[in-house]
Amino acid sequence: MASRSAVKYILRRLIFLFITYVVATTIVFILPRAIPGNPLSQILSNLSRVAQSNPEAIRAAEKNLMEEFGLGKPWYLQYVEFIGKALKGDLGTSITYYPRKVMDLIVPVIPWTLVLILPATIVAWILGNSLGALAAYRRNTWIDKGVLTGSLVVSQIPYYWLGMIFIFFFGVKLGWLPVQGAYSQGTIPDLSWAFFMDALKHYILPFLSIVVSAMGGWAIGMRLMVIYELGSDYANFSEYIGMKDKRIFRYVFRNSLLPQVTGLALSLGSVLGGALITEIVFNYPGTGYLLFKALTTLDYPLIQGVFVILIASVYLANFIVDFVYALIDPRIRIGQEE
Amino acid sequence: MENVLLKAENLRAYYKLEKVSVKAVDGLSFEIYEDEVVGVVGESGCGKTTLSNVIFMNMVKPLTLVGGKIFLKVNGSFEEISALSRDEVKEKFWGKEMTIIPQSAMNALMPTIKMERYVQHLAESHGLDARELIDKTLQRFKEVGLETSWLKRYPFELSGGMRQRAVIAVSTILNPSLLVADEPTSALDVVNQKVFLKVLMSLKRRGIVKSIILITHDIATVRQIADRMIIMYAGKIVELSPIDELLEKPLHPYTEGLLNSVLTPEPEVKKRGIVTIPGAPPNLIDPPSGCRFHPRCPHMMDVCKEKEPPLVEIEPGRRVACFLYAGERT
Repeated sequence: MASRSAVKYILRRLIFLFITYVVATTIVFILPRAIPGNPLSQILSNLSRVAQSNPEAIRAAEKNLMEEFGLGKPWYLQYVEFIGKALKGDLGTSITYYPRKVMDLIVPVIPWTLVLILPATIVAWILGNSLGALAAYRRNTWIDKGVLTGSLVVSQIPYYWLGMIFIFFFGVKLGWLPVQGAYSQGTIPDLSWAFFMDALKHYILPFLSIVVSAMGGWAIGMRLMVIYELGSDYANFSEYIGMKDKRIFRYVFRNSLLPQVTGLALSLGSVLGGALITEIVFNYPGTGYLLFKALTTLDYPLIQGVFVILIASVYLANFIVDFVYALIDPRIRIGQEE
Repeated sequence: MENVLLKAENLRAYYKLEKVSVKAVDGLSFEIYEDEVVGVVGESGCGKTTLSNVIFMNMVKPLTLVGGKIFLKVNGSFEEISALSRDEVKEKFWGKEMTIIPQSAMNALMPTIKMERYVQHLAESHGLDARELIDKTLQRFKEVGLETSWLKRYPFELSGGMRQRAVIAVSTILNPSLLVADEPTSALDVVNQKVFLKVLMSLKRRGIVKSIILITHDIATVRQIADRMIIMYAGKIVELSPIDELLEKPLHPYTEGLLNSVLTPEPEVKKRGIVTIPGAPPNLIDPPSGCRFHPRCPHMMDVCKEKEPPLVEIEPGRRVACFLYAGERT
């Protein structure tokens, strides 16, 4: 019985995921096309610089390009074509980076984003939760006040501003660290020690800025959860029957962490697109930066491509959260079996 | 004094807020004898739960002990626990000499670990052998009518009534002499209430606990097992009496009002129906002058507004704080 209902549950979730995925990709397909502007204008203006004297040739080129990208067809035909190709793993050709394939543009930048944001998110989560729990445990002491005030301030600072402060202070003023990019300009990524050290130097500032700005939110949430759990019935009762404070705090910490795990899984899901501003501020060659480029040049196929992958990763994370949560919280695991 | 387990002298405990104090427990004197069940009854907000905190010296800000003393008999001699700090009382007596069944006993067990592990942790905290304590808990589970295999489960796998019995089993595992049960039955259906009371009484009969303080607003429950009753109103004891005499002839007008507001099987009660006490309990920041019950009292006299009636013994074992009985004093 238990396994049958579990299968049913998973199937229902999968169907639901599929439907929302189709809806989301449709929206992503329509929205960029609603922005006024001609995605071909950049290529054409480049062309006109080369072939200034021949407007006929430019018009012919525009016609060719329209055909190549299928922009002349009605939008629903474009949509069907897009879906059909996407299912085969072909996300089309980029307009801005013509004639490079969208896939070939996205795949190389994914590791950069993952390497930067995955560890930063996890470190921020660990530090934030520890600080929040500490503040709650030492409630109304200077530690609590310090953590709370610091977290509130840091989490409310607009991220781009924080990033620029970091760049200004550590990069420009102190000159300790490079101010932009993932590695020095002119070097070619390889597996050498020198390149690794160079990349690491470029890594520190964006990494720290993400950790600092994300930590505050986790700390505030965790502090509230722990304060709530410290006043809960099981904490009071444990105290009344002589359970040691340390043990009670471990109970409270454990139970407070459960919802935070959900939060972590969700933010890991949006890792691929989540650092848009970081990557812009630090000129870091990740998916966020690519998306930014695509959006500013109205590169329909590239926008679609990034989002198709991004949405998929968010959904995957959502899907996994349900199971992770069941694994770590017996109330859900056993409750569902029965 | 020889068979007294707990003695309170003129206890006063206020919730000290920034500008005002909530006088939730204001001058209580009473004693709990060994081998008895005492019911503490009163409307919501009369200071019953505060009293249980005070008995445990569980002073968490803003609750502050303003005056008075509490003595608890430990190994045959009296300890003045009101002279100790909360942490000292907790370290020395909580769980060992005094224990509680809290108001929401259903959620009192750590929800995300199995009960067996919880008992292990408890053994660790008290420096006891885990195996022994688990065996003891298994025995206690049987005694309160739970299957021993359930110890290996999570609390939420049990029904509400069962969980409450598991809480009783765990909270009395170290044979504390005093058990305080705070509104234990209010969340239970009538059948489970009955089971619960039976379990309580059997714990006392076996000598696992010596005395029980049952805090409740439900006279119908408490009369089934209590030996004596303490009636509280607005932070004060208005009447203290053995149960049978109290039910037969309540002395204080408030006690009378409380009894009249409960349906009991006696024929005259059936005829009379339910009578309520008009008005509501007073604000304890600024309680009424004189007798705190006077604004709601049907027998109010002039003196009640000005002077506070002392709690005096007018029959052996019966104390009442009311000017109606001033003449009967010797």
